[in-house]
Amino acid sequence: MINLADRPKSKRVQLMATCLCDAFFDDVAKATVEVLEHAGCEVVFPENQTCCGQPAFNCGQWPAARTVMRHTAQVFAGDEPIIVPSGSCAAMMFHGSTLEFEGERDRAEIEQVGGRTWELGDYLVNGLGLSSWPGEFPAKIAFHRACHTRGTASGPAVLQLLQSIKGLEIVPFGEGEQCCGFGGTFSVSFPNVSTAMGELKLEHIRAAHPDFVVSGDMSCLMHLSGLAEREDRPIKTLHFAQILRDALHHRHGQATH
Amino acid sequence: MSAAREQILAAIQAALAPLPQRESRPVVPHGVADAQWLAGEADNAALFTKRATAAGTRVFASPGDCLSWLFENRAAEVYLPDSLRDVTARFAGIVDVVHEYSRAHVDEIDAALTPAAGAIAESGTIILTDESTPDRLAALAPWTHIAVVRKETIHRSIADALAALPDDPNVIWVTGPSKTADVEGILIQGVHGPGVQGCLLV
Amino acid sequence: MPCTIAMAKQLIDTYVAELPPTVQKAVHQSTAATTAKRYQLLGDDFADADALRKLAGSIRQHALEHLDTYLARAEESLTARGAKVHYAVTAEDACRAVTEILQAAGITKVVKSKSMVTEEIHLNDHLAKHGIESVESDLGEYIVQIDGDHPSHIVRPIIHKTRGDIARSFEREGLGDYNDDPETITRRARRFMRGKYLEAGAGITGANFVTADTGRLVLVTNEGNSRFCLAPAKVHIALVGIEKVVPSDSDLAVLLNLLGRSATGQQLTVYTEFINGPRRPDRPSGPEQMHVVFVDNRRTEVLASDCKEILRCIRCGACLNVCPVYRQASGHAYRSVYPGPVGAVLSPLLAGDKFQELADLPKASSLCGACNEVCPVDIPIPDLLLRLRHRAHEEHVPSPGTPPMAGFAILGSHPLVWRSAMTFGAAKDYLPLDKMPVPYLGSWLKTRTLPKWRGGKFRAWMKSRQHS
Repeated sequence: MINLADRPKSKRVQLMATCLCDAFFDDVAKATVEVLEHAGCEVVFPENQTCCGQPAFNCGQWPAARTVMRHTAQVFAGDEPIIVPSGSCAAMMFHGSTLEFEGERDRAEIEQVGGRTWELGDYLVNGLGLSSWPGEFPAKIAFHRACHTRGTASGPAVLQLLQSIKGLEIVPFGEGEQCCGFGGTFSVSFPNVSTAMGELKLEHIRAAHPDFVVSGDMSCLMHLSGLAEREDRPIKTLHFAQILRDALHHRHGQATH
Repeated sequence: MSAAREQILAAIQAALAPLPQRESRPVVPHGVADAQWLAGEADNAALFTKRATAAGTRVFASPGDCLSWLFENRAAEVYLPDSLRDVTARFAGIVDVVHEYSRAHVDEIDAALTPAAGAIAESGTIILTDESTPDRLAALAPWTHIAVVRKETIHRSIADALAALPDDPNVIWVTGPSKTADVEGILIQGVHGPGVQGCLLV
Repeated sequence: MPCTIAMAKQLIDTYVAELPPTVQKAVHQSTAATTAKRYQLLGDDFADADALRKLAGSIRQHALEHLDTYLARAEESLTARGAKVHYAVTAEDACRAVTEILQAAGITKVVKSKSMVTEEIHLNDHLAKHGIESVESDLGEYIVQIDGDHPSHIVRPIIHKTRGDIARSFEREGLGDYNDDPETITRRARRFMRGKYLEAGAGITGANFVTADTGRLVLVTNEGNSRFCLAPAKVHIALVGIEKVVPSDSDLAVLLNLLGRSATGQQLTVYTEFINGPRRPDRPSGPEQMHVVFVDNRRTEVLASDCKEILRCIRCGACLNVCPVYRQASGHAYRSVYPGPVGAVLSPLLAGDKFQELADLPKASSLCGACNEVCPVDIPIPDLLLRLRHRAHEEHVPSPGTPPMAGFAILGSHPLVWRSAMTFGAAKDYLPLDKMPVPYLGSWLKTRTLPKWRGGKFRAWMKSRQHS
């Protein structure tokens, strides 16, 4: 069993960039590195990393998922904290893996890796002890808390940092706790439901007129901005790591999605 | 039939046998589910009145109030059991009173008073039992039911009332008048139970 | 944009596409309002509602993991107080037990209080075949019955119907001319049911809980219909799923304080009844006979499975109300007695060897976890959905729209192949993707664009930093 309270907190960390950032959102991974370095970390990037295996896990194809996770566990061997700019991938590492490795001989090895994994915001506040973030970023943002951070310290941690940034205004919007509709392969196997959920979310967000839609998970933002762009009413999205980085440089969201 | 019993119990045992350990009985401190505002409420009768009223129960502080209300609302026939004579002696001169209740009266009797077995302050609940109620139908069928609650029988909390559940086959906790929101979520009072729930505190 | 790919569709996804917007709106409005009330009340009344939910979860889990002890004790407690206890392994056994009791007492008319387990076993159909009239007394269930419909929510059975629908049904049923005023509808139901209660020989109920120590069946309603089922009738038959047992009256303090708040945003429902025996001989009203039928109907199989936590469920409906998929789909989309998140786990499991027919239910979820957050007994529903997806895969149940992951496993465990894919994936931006026969891509692109491919860029940046 993994106890999140026992996770290591050293300044030398391993970065899991996530397959989505690897493929589509390099600037988010870059911002993550810069943010961690600003916080005093030495960031190691194991280059043989691929994916946490969540897509296969969510489909119930657990043998395939375990194959990928075993590779990932090998790649991230060690004792350092593993930092990931995604609540969903972090949850896969420290929760999903315990389910898919029940009864497997190497469960303990897998849990050793999962038991060192932190979502980025959670790490900054609860691992490194930061309570605020310097710089400024004058803008109105809508903050979408991704569902896989439910019940974790990530949501409050990210909000705490964002709220401390000079000039940043977080605007509330309706039904904020409801899922955006991405859900991984759900988005393609249940496209009507997924799209309806996303459009409902966009309607609520638009009513608040934010400059940017911000989250700790690019999967949600990819889904929402994909929907918005398809309807020719694009939105500007940012990962909170990009806001933290841009705040340091007094630069407002030059790279958006 | 007892074969079914054996089969089910055996299936349960087989289902649970592989568990390395079983969830132990959790400690449930007595007031753990009490509403947090309960601590600040000193007077059971006052809290009961407040909560019952909030639930839609009409609380009468005296037999006189109750009688006036019955008179003003032109209650056609009011059932008063003999056991409530001490409380309702004056009623007979002002409203039409009957002292018997039976199934035949279901459509005729408009209002009924019956003794309650107790009450709960935390939720404004009236407690009825078979022992305290002359006829289940009398407390249920009339449009108006008024339960007579003796103040010293008011329990402070839901947990207290559960700890004091009597040895009675039919204990009913009544919290307000009967209602439904089945039609488009619109709240309507008076479905199968009383449309007016009253409580006379004595 | 027309989808150029012919592809098998998930049933629930199709249902959502075809659901009339009026129904969807009614369901959304009602569920969102109840969710808000629940949240408000829990916040007002408890400093730490989550701790209470977890405690309630432990109480229920403990009861399940000692079910043989507690069930036998409940039977003893009931028998000692004059009730007769029966056990039914299958749905048919349960129906048969009920008809035998009624036939022995010469009863041909019964009134019923709402009970999901009686829906599971199709009790009314069975009674009708044996010449026994069974009338649903709960207003919503009565309307479902006269419409030949099915409930679409476990607490609010006609959440999908308008007042106009109901008015038409009442007129058709002879309860009066068309009148869609909710108060009139309710008064008519009251008047009509009175007659039924008084002429019925038996009242049939379910139970929300049964306490082992004192054999108390706990019934919670707002309408008073279960009270009326148990006043004039001679016989009471209660059908109770075996999993409903809790150890003692004191456990109810936690459970009852959470049930009403979770289900309807009420501290307590209007009526909470504790019934553990027939009436005493000196009482004029109340059943002379009380029968309790403990129903298995595959619950022991669920108890043996890796999804046993679902049996903690106390049928509050909070998970339905908060679920974004339920809000889009409504209950009938789930094609089973239990819809929503609880149904997505319970229905395929209770289907036994027909698991495959409902194996799509656990997939109709984004795994958002809102259901677990609101569950008064802390059931880890997303974990259970994942386990059922795994089971469906192991049993080779076809899954339309779900990408096969064999290729992904190779990509994800071979870093050189992965890095090549990152480089070559750039081709994506030069291909007419929406015209290509890649089903999953088509499904995405129908309503969404994809971002530009940036594979390899971060790695190159990281590498260049390390060298400087």
